[in-house]
Amino acid sequence: MAGTIIGNGLTIEGEITSDEEVIVAGTVRGKLTVEGPLTIDAGALVEADIGAASLQVGGNVTGNVTAADRVDLLAGGRLVGDVKASRLTIADGASFKGNVDMDV
Amino acid sequence: MARGSTTTHREPDAAESLIGRGARIRGRVHGDGALRVEGSVEGNIQLTGDLEIEDGASVTGDVEASSLVVSGQLTGDVTSRGPVTIRATAQYAGNVGGSEVILEEGAAFAGRIEAEFDLPAELSERTGGRAQSPRRESAGR
Repeated sequence: MAGTIIGNGLTIEGEITSDEEVIVAGTVRGKLTVEGPLTIDAGALVEADIGAASLQVGGNVTGNVTAADRVDLLAGGRLVGDVKASRLTIADGASFKGNVDMDV
Repeated sequence: MARGSTTTHREPDAAESLIGRGARIRGRVHGDGALRVEGSVEGNIQLTGDLEIEDGASVTGDVEASSLVVSGQLTGDVTSRGPVTIRATAQYAGNVGGSEVILEEGAAFAGRIEAEFDLPAELSERTGGRAQSPRRESAGR
């Protein structure tokens, strides 16, 4: 079963660490460290520095992102912050502002 | 803030949230909908929905929810609008304020229980004339 789900009514202010998958549909402010896939759903609001194995952004993220594997910015997603990842996709319809470091 | 009357009609299906076994949260958790904790939370939890603290989970902080089921570890005070169930596997230290408290055999509990309820009418009437009054005449009701 899925590791952690932060539902759309829920707000967490602080630090989240997880060894498993995390799905955010609600609001997170602070810091988010996931040793697994992290999904930020459409409608979610994240104001946090993010570290994850892989990251999918369909919602709204403000903060710096470091992913061990990849970052996918989906259509409708919005990311403001610097991205450090070896692979990055930005879909048509996504918004992005920040620097990209692909570790080359 | 707004309690009781306004809690139910926010978002009809505010999805259930889950803090998984491998997850750890330090900080404040608040909002609508139900929450199940299997991991660890250090901080206060304030919910309009139901809260479940599973066996193996640990929560350190004050808790406010519409109902609460504790099967894991909880250290902190609880305010609940509905029933509070402390299961056999629970280890709980803190005070409980709720309308109804269920404490199962085997649970470790240290604290106060303050369940707010009205005595049934027949009880509050009879105590004056029956068992309790012969020795404690000044008790009133």
